[in-house]
Amino acid sequence: MSRLEQMFAYARANHPRSVRGMEEALAKDPELFTEVAEKFGGWAAGVHGDEGWAPVCVDAYVNFSNDVIMAQARYEADGHYENSSFAECEASVYADREVMDEYLWGVFLTNFLWSHHMELSRVFRDRFARKIVANASVVEIAPGHGGWGVWLLSERPDARLQAFDISPSSIAIASSIAKSAGVADRASYERRNALDLSALPAGEADACLCSFLIEHLEEPEKLVEVMAHLLKPGGKAWLTGALTAAQIDHIYEFRKESELVLMAEKYGFRVLETMSVAPLRTLPKARFVPRSMGLLLQKRTTELG
Amino acid sequence: MADTLSKLQDVFRDVFEDDDLVITRATTAAQVSAWDSVMHVTLMMAAERAFKLRFKSGEVTGLKNVGELVDLVDRRLGG
Repeated sequence: MSRLEQMFAYARANHPRSVRGMEEALAKDPELFTEVAEKFGGWAAGVHGDEGWAPVCVDAYVNFSNDVIMAQARYEADGHYENSSFAECEASVYADREVMDEYLWGVFLTNFLWSHHMELSRVFRDRFARKIVANASVVEIAPGHGGWGVWLLSERPDARLQAFDISPSSIAIASSIAKSAGVADRASYERRNALDLSALPAGEADACLCSFLIEHLEEPEKLVEVMAHLLKPGGKAWLTGALTAAQIDHIYEFRKESELVLMAEKYGFRVLETMSVAPLRTLPKARFVPRSMGLLLQKRTTELG
Repeated sequence: MADTLSKLQDVFRDVFEDDDLVITRATTAAQVSAWDSVMHVTLMMAAERAFKLRFKSGEVTGLKNVGELVDLVDRRLGG
């Protein structure tokens, strides 16, 4: 049985309400879905075992996705995100190792089980990972589960990755996935606050990626500033963020795509490409369309270059 | 419990826009074609309003059938 078949079989038996969305994602782009499912499923199997990975990851995915839908429903009712400070999120999510472990394995599968995130995944693979310079030194800020950076390394055997995350769960899980994927010799994971990375030497990275951190920050501009600090002039960045998309630990409410674009330009980036994607289905009569945005950026070499 | 089921039937009919929908304790998502994860949350929010409750996400994610929802509501109402 393939990883994809294992995943669907487990979901059909245990989470029938979640299968429709998974099938819609598969139908939207069967080739990419299958490729990513086999790849990510294989890495997870290397960590949890051939029989164990689907229960761990699918249960976590279903719980995470339901939490997100519930948070979005509350957001629709209240008009604002539930939490507004890092301290609140730390108390309810980040400081609890068990909660964080499940959270990260749940997010891991959203790269393809959320059909709109699969669109981002394609751009990430084709327009960023495959296009960065040869022998690139890559920094990943807040890798979370680590899947994005490991995917880049699997696409680019010449690249090296330095990753930093404040969460011990992230360091453990991302390291385990890197090992499972056979890229651990080119990846390092260090526990460190993303916003402290301005203490690192400036302008040494060829590429930088940061996926879905910015909406978790009280001062998101600082993240973009750090990315610009780390990159060489001309270096490429992949930045993703969530707009009007509630989650228990989303605290900065981006409402328009231009907010992220302007932030990138303010800190010296040329915006090469952007995409804004939304789920195939939203809550009935929704005021807020939850969107995810991907930005392909290049650090300017001159003020307007 | 019978009252809860009856009130939930009104909630189901309203959410799924089907005045002929009949639910029992054994009803599952497999028997209501539109009952997926998005509609499940919509249903839970409607049930919260009907019973003046507030569920935690973890309480409602694992519900397997209507009977488990009835029991949850009754438990939360102190019944």
